[in-house]
Amino acid sequence: MRKTMVLVLLLTLTAAVGVFAQSAPPAAGSNLTIGLVMVGPYNDHGWSEANYDGLQYVLAKVPGTKLVYIDKANSSDRPGTTVSQLGESLVAQGAKMVIFSSDDMTDEAIKFAKAHPDIFVILTSGDQQWKEGKNYQPLPNMINIMGKVEYMKMVAGFAAAMTTKTGKIGFLGPLINDETRRLASSAYLGARYAWVHYRHRSVDSLKFKVTWIGFWFNIPGVTSDPTQVADDFFNSGYDVVISGIDTTEAVAEAAKFSAQGKKVWAIPYDYKNAIEEGKGVSLGVPYFNWGPAYVNAAKAAMDGTWVNHFEWNGPYWKNINDPDKSAVGFNKGTLTREVSEDVDRFVGQMARGLDLWEGPLYLQDGTEYLKSGQKATDQQIWYLPQLLKGMEGQSVSK
Amino acid sequence: MLVELRDIDKTFGKVRANAAISLRIPPASIQGVLGENGAGKSTLMKILSGFYTPDSGEILLDGKAVQIHSPADAIRHGIGMLHQDPLDFPPMKILDDFILGRQGGLFPNHRAASREFRELAGQFGFALDPEAYVDSLTVGERQQLEILRLLWLGARVLIFDEPTTGISLPQKVKLFDTLKKLAAEGMTILFVSHKLEDVESLCTSAAVLRQGELVGAAEPPFDTRLLVEMMFGKELPLAPKKTAVPGGKILSVKSVSIEGVRLQIRGVDLDVRSGEVIGLAGMEGSGQSLFLGACAGLTQPVGGSFCLDEDERDMTGRSHLEFKKRGVAYLPAARLEQGLVPGLTLTEHFVLSEGLGGLFVDRKKAEALAKERISTFNIKGTPESVVEALSGGNQQRALLALMRPRLTLILVEHPTRGLDIESTIYIWSKLKERCEQGTAIVFISSDLDEILQYSDRVLVFFAGQVSPPLRAESLSVERLGALIGGKDWENLPKEAVNA
Amino acid sequence: MRDTPSRRVLFQVGAVVLALLVTTVVLIAAKAPPLAAFANIVQGAFGSWDVTSNVLVAWVPLLLVTSGLLLTFTVGLWNIGIEGQIILGGIFATWALRVYGSSGMSPTVVLILAFVAGMVGGSLWAMLAGALKTFGGVNEIFGGLGLNFVATALNIWLIFGPWKRPGVASMSGTLPFDQRLWMPTVTPQSMLSVPTVIIAVAAIAIVYLMIQGTYFGLRLKAVGKNAKAAYILGIPTWQHMMASFALCGLFAGVAGAVQVTAVYHRLIPSISSGYGYLGLMVAMLINYKAAFAAPVALFFAALNVGSIQLPIVLRLDSSLAGVLQGTLVLFVLLGHGVRQRVLKKPQVVS
Repeated sequence: MRKTMVLVLLLTLTAAVGVFAQSAPPAAGSNLTIGLVMVGPYNDHGWSEANYDGLQYVLAKVPGTKLVYIDKANSSDRPGTTVSQLGESLVAQGAKMVIFSSDDMTDEAIKFAKAHPDIFVILTSGDQQWKEGKNYQPLPNMINIMGKVEYMKMVAGFAAAMTTKTGKIGFLGPLINDETRRLASSAYLGARYAWVHYRHRSVDSLKFKVTWIGFWFNIPGVTSDPTQVADDFFNSGYDVVISGIDTTEAVAEAAKFSAQGKKVWAIPYDYKNAIEEGKGVSLGVPYFNWGPAYVNAAKAAMDGTWVNHFEWNGPYWKNINDPDKSAVGFNKGTLTREVSEDVDRFVGQMARGLDLWEGPLYLQDGTEYLKSGQKATDQQIWYLPQLLKGMEGQSVSK
Repeated sequence: MLVELRDIDKTFGKVRANAAISLRIPPASIQGVLGENGAGKSTLMKILSGFYTPDSGEILLDGKAVQIHSPADAIRHGIGMLHQDPLDFPPMKILDDFILGRQGGLFPNHRAASREFRELAGQFGFALDPEAYVDSLTVGERQQLEILRLLWLGARVLIFDEPTTGISLPQKVKLFDTLKKLAAEGMTILFVSHKLEDVESLCTSAAVLRQGELVGAAEPPFDTRLLVEMMFGKELPLAPKKTAVPGGKILSVKSVSIEGVRLQIRGVDLDVRSGEVIGLAGMEGSGQSLFLGACAGLTQPVGGSFCLDEDERDMTGRSHLEFKKRGVAYLPAARLEQGLVPGLTLTEHFVLSEGLGGLFVDRKKAEALAKERISTFNIKGTPESVVEALSGGNQQRALLALMRPRLTLILVEHPTRGLDIESTIYIWSKLKERCEQGTAIVFISSDLDEILQYSDRVLVFFAGQVSPPLRAESLSVERLGALIGGKDWENLPKEAVNA
Repeated sequence: MRDTPSRRVLFQVGAVVLALLVTTVVLIAAKAPPLAAFANIVQGAFGSWDVTSNVLVAWVPLLLVTSGLLLTFTVGLWNIGIEGQIILGGIFATWALRVYGSSGMSPTVVLILAFVAGMVGGSLWAMLAGALKTFGGVNEIFGGLGLNFVATALNIWLIFGPWKRPGVASMSGTLPFDQRLWMPTVTPQSMLSVPTVIIAVAAIAIVYLMIQGTYFGLRLKAVGKNAKAAYILGIPTWQHMMASFALCGLFAGVAGAVQVTAVYHRLIPSISSGYGYLGLMVAMLINYKAAFAAPVALFFAALNVGSIQLPIVLRLDSSLAGVLQGTLVLFVLLGHGVRQRVLKKPQVVS
């Protein structure tokens, strides 16, 4: 009896999923309530707040839009809930489009998108709708959005290498995956370029170490404590720490050490105004500007032009800090005038075609990643299998 | 202080514990309050000492009506009560216990308190060390501590609830001297007891309660027959002493040594035969409980062996549960702490002790069993009564009723402590029935008459020293009293017959 | 005043009213509209079938955990290690799914295996706490807390180590199981799985019967109320404590298996969702009476689920539900105390 019931229910489930995976939802019309699910607090001065600000931009630019949101959508902060359930709570508040704004929500977002074919779903930083990607799984109601923040990480690495006195740069990494590997590596590429071409030192004399804490932000008892990791960097001679996590511990610690008279700096991540927390120690911040992409998605949902796709938006090179055009930017902080000018020069070089993802490049274990003169494809960058040669730190989680 | 109780009424559920009781106790007197268990004595005293509030009636102190809502209230009015079970805090030092309850001051002045304690103790000749721990005291010493504490708190009226229970003869003599001294100093003493002889030898007047009512009063010289009649409504005969013919060996104790917290017992030898009754005499805390516990497998000896039955099965080191399987029953003195499970009903107790198999409890069968036992053992209670709602005597009856039908050995601590004569006689008749069926009994009692009345042989304990078994008929109360007090031991070995 | 059932109810209601009042004060202090907050919780818990089914999803593990805890409370033990027991249940269930999931066995069989494994895992972990208490003299509260930490660490290690997603370790847990191995739900959108509801209801029914009607339950009660006397009455005490630990762990293990197979479809770092601690509160709130476990657990589950509305609609922290639950337990316990002082029970007549 039980077995039959299980089978029947399973069949229904499979059939239902098959039926739903057909077409994108109908146009939302002139009004659109957008639901935003954030992994951290909405005011975290990091990833979540950048997304929140992106939605504020949408509200300002697209008439008829409304926002409902839930933050701290992770199972530690909201035990017993699932992300798809939180998404449903937003739908219950009228949301027709739901943005799952973290890579960590992938499984739940897919589950949600399948279960709610009538809701537009954005999975930020995912690759499921990328035809050329490794995880292609077409869902008509889903799009993936990501910014090419790699360029800005290069700028961050550049600024770090121009500033360091010890030649030792620390990278405070979250968890290890494709995205974090390529971001850490981008920072390294920028730093190496500055070290060799601007400061004229040998490649080998630059130390670049990555320490992963285990998640995008501190979860006491679960992740390593980022404050502790930052301290360890500063105490062992690393005078610039580039943060790859979504919160600003690195800047806070740099400020603390600086107050004690040590010459140290930090570079936060994600959020344009994250440098404000560490005036004098923040060299600048590579950040996301989600507004324009979310505006496009909202408009597509409203006028019925929604097509499931993947977008990986680059900077607007003419002005990387243009709030209406650039998906990513670098907000300069405390830089010496010379370094500031060199940063501008470096950005200019990239705008004119300098590509640091160009061979010869080797992976950490020595295998060749790009042949001399070979330029990396988007896929090669997105799915970077290891850190690059010259970087210290774990490539794959053990 | 003149204490007057007027028309005190108190009802618990369907039971009228006190019915319009009026009593007048002048200062400098010792008022005896007599009655069998459940007569309402403790209730009346607890009303006076603030544990209960009466449903109606009033209390006057020196002619002024007072409201007593709590024991703290009572002590403010100068009324202090010593309970049947001393209500102190065992893991504390004597001095800390002494200071407790004193009003005022965040930090007690230990030095002053210690001085006052010694002075007060000296007045009454109590040898209590203020730095010792309360749990190292005998029941008698705890009483002394309580008396000192209450006096120190300013008590002018002292209530004693069954104070001679569980203390030895010398301690009792000491207590009575103290009480007389207190009365002579103008204190008002209420002495609650069911022991006629105590009341007769001590009190300046006696009131008798029966089933919640005040049925009479008497002045010295007391007429025992009259008092018994008032208490029970009838006279009770003492069962004639019968000496059973000892049968085969039930328990052999071979040079057993036991280490307790404060004392050691060395090299005890004892053979117990079927149908025999062995009394363990001694002042409280002289080692008898330790020895009895070891016979039940509850304490493990450090040397020697215990063997059960004719086939001398070695039980040394076995658990109590294994002793139990071989027909050994242990009835502890602390009925509600060790013997019964508060919160469970009589029926549930019988179900548990019978060790019935099966998954589900057969309610009908269980209730039938409970009803049968309740009537056989004349327990005043229903199958649904929780054990803590029973009076002491009925709890003791329940303990007896819990014993399985076929037993080889019954080990019992203070079988009749705190019980009235009727219950005492009843309980011993039940125990004797077992003896006639061949069960042997080893019991502890601080009542010397009880030891001599019921034992075939007696082991005397004094500070861990154990006498050889002595034939009861060769002993007198005086002789036994001396031995318990540690005197006369040099002549013992010669008398050790039938060991 | 006498202690009667109606007065007892009065005290319970009084406690609830007081808890609501305190929560209201907290809300007003936080400058939030109290009525709207309560209305949103109710709406969020019972406003639609979707949310109500979410309440049931939370109810199932909570009821399972409470069922187990009633057994340990009956024998007089504070099994605070219940959280770890849920986690171990989740880990063992995940292990079974990983081992047998691709063996070609029918999904039903694999799921049953996963539940059995969960039971074994929870039970073993509970018995470890029991062994620490019985043979090591470690109080079960401290032992349990320690084992909770160990269980969490073990879980995280598995998720970030041997059981990590291919190439990527993630806080969002292990790779989701094949959809065949998900517990069937009432609709594809829902997480509510009827078999798990049946299991939870059966669990509380079994515990109720066990405590009310069996010799075993009676013995547990006796040990819980007076271990010394129970021993002298012939009940092997530590064995019964151990058995109640094992059974409680078994129920907790089932809760872990439900979380893994029906709710998250993978092992996640906080797989226990705090239901262990919540279950302790439920057990205290119902004064360890199995008959009230189901409705009170439902109430707590509703508070948990309903309070998700607070951050969405009123921008309030959803921990308000925790405040309400906590004050409720406090006031009910306080109510018990006051009731025993004010309303006198029939007492010993002597």
